[in-house]
Amino acid sequence: MALTIFFIIILFLALVQTAIPYLVKRTIVFGVTIPEKHIHDKRLTSYKKRYAVITFLISIILLGIFTTYALTVQPTEDQMALIGTFILFAIILISMSLYFYFHGKTIQLKKANKWVENLKQVQMTDLSIRSQDEMLPWYVYLLPIIVTLGLIVYTIPQYDILPDQIPTHWGPNGEADAFTAKSPISAIQLPLVLFVMQLMFLGIHFAQKNSGIKLSATSKAASQKRQLTLRKYTSWFLFLTSLLVTMLFSFLQLTTIHPDIFKDTTMIAMPFVFILVILIGTIIFAVKVGRADKQSNVQFKGEITDKDEDMYWKGGLFYFNKNDPSIFVEKRFSVGWTLNLANPIGYLVLFGPIILILLITFL
Amino acid sequence: MIILIEAESEIPIYSQLTNQVIEGIARGDLCPGDSLPSVRAFAADIGVNMHTVNKSYHELEKRGIIKIIPKSGAVISTHTEIPESTSQRLSNELKPLIAESLVIGMTEEKIHELVTSILKEFKQN
Repeated sequence: MALTIFFIIILFLALVQTAIPYLVKRTIVFGVTIPEKHIHDKRLTSYKKRYAVITFLISIILLGIFTTYALTVQPTEDQMALIGTFILFAIILISMSLYFYFHGKTIQLKKANKWVENLKQVQMTDLSIRSQDEMLPWYVYLLPIIVTLGLIVYTIPQYDILPDQIPTHWGPNGEADAFTAKSPISAIQLPLVLFVMQLMFLGIHFAQKNSGIKLSATSKAASQKRQLTLRKYTSWFLFLTSLLVTMLFSFLQLTTIHPDIFKDTTMIAMPFVFILVILIGTIIFAVKVGRADKQSNVQFKGEITDKDEDMYWKGGLFYFNKNDPSIFVEKRFSVGWTLNLANPIGYLVLFGPIILILLITFL
Repeated sequence: MIILIEAESEIPIYSQLTNQVIEGIARGDLCPGDSLPSVRAFAADIGVNMHTVNKSYHELEKRGIIKIIPKSGAVISTHTEIPESTSQRLSNELKPLIAESLVIGMTEEKIHELVTSILKEFKQN
């Protein structure tokens, strides 16, 4: 079981890391803004290809080593998890090193060819863009919250039949492997953590809703499609995650109260299905958003380009812009969102709930 | 309606925003009763500081072009009569431009032509 899970996760990561240069925003190459008329430059295309080939080959070799090791040495599940995690980090480390290498090369290329020097930099928006935003309404996130509150209310009268040792951690086979003594708090610890997570999802939703819909003046239709697709599918994915986490946690809480309520096969299948659905969801999300701005033919006109914001992107990865009221912005090297590190509200939305969860677990 | 600002222009960004909203209304892209986006959303979408958008909205309000209504935001006003103060201000602002046109040698006819062509541009839509 552990082998299958790790095999799928490593393969998934390998594919995603390989595909990133082809899934990012059309005018961003290795975290560097490229004016619309140069995005098909041959040298840039070759950088992307070299990155993808090297990342893919190394990842597949690592995956091969892992699989051979797991099948021949027959390690314990702990050892397998350790090696698997190590390989995941290795793939990330290698692809990030390659990223930085090509990031530097792209900056040099842009500078040497003076791609932005003679262009007028503009910023654009459409006053009607907000009315086309298709993010889910915030109140759908109340549904899982109601389920969680119901679960807490249901648990309280069952306090007496709860075991003396409340499980706090579950292994990959769905069996509890760490416990804590029963107390009024530990009895509802799991739904409480779930509740805080759902509040965080709701917070993220509001933060993203209020973040800027960034359009490109040189490729309006493509950038609009990408931004609206990103926002729509993010809200769906966030909602799906909220529902799945709620199901998983409710399932674990119910098995703690009534140990025989579900069959053993369900116990094993549940976390597996959870991971699988999340992974498939991630792939659909990445492809949908990643391809959203690639099909349309851009009619390029005039000597203008979008404002070069490279100076706000440290290393092309971290966004720090005091003037932008957005809490989240679209990532430059990957599909999804990243924090505007200059906005303190962002830290609150993400780290507030984490601190709260730590407090609940250590209380 | 598209708003396009030049980051490195001599005209301050807030003035560019103000002018483009006014031109949008003149062209008919925006109508009386329409509301403008919230300051936060507008600033986030176009990628400028919230103060810049705020300044532009206040400028528009001062000139009587929009009304800032608490909770519903900035709404484009309806105009029935031209206030004396506004026509006085417009006259003052036009004066140096017309003076400049005369100084560089434009005839009265040419100035009329220029005004007519600009008016036509706005009426086209």
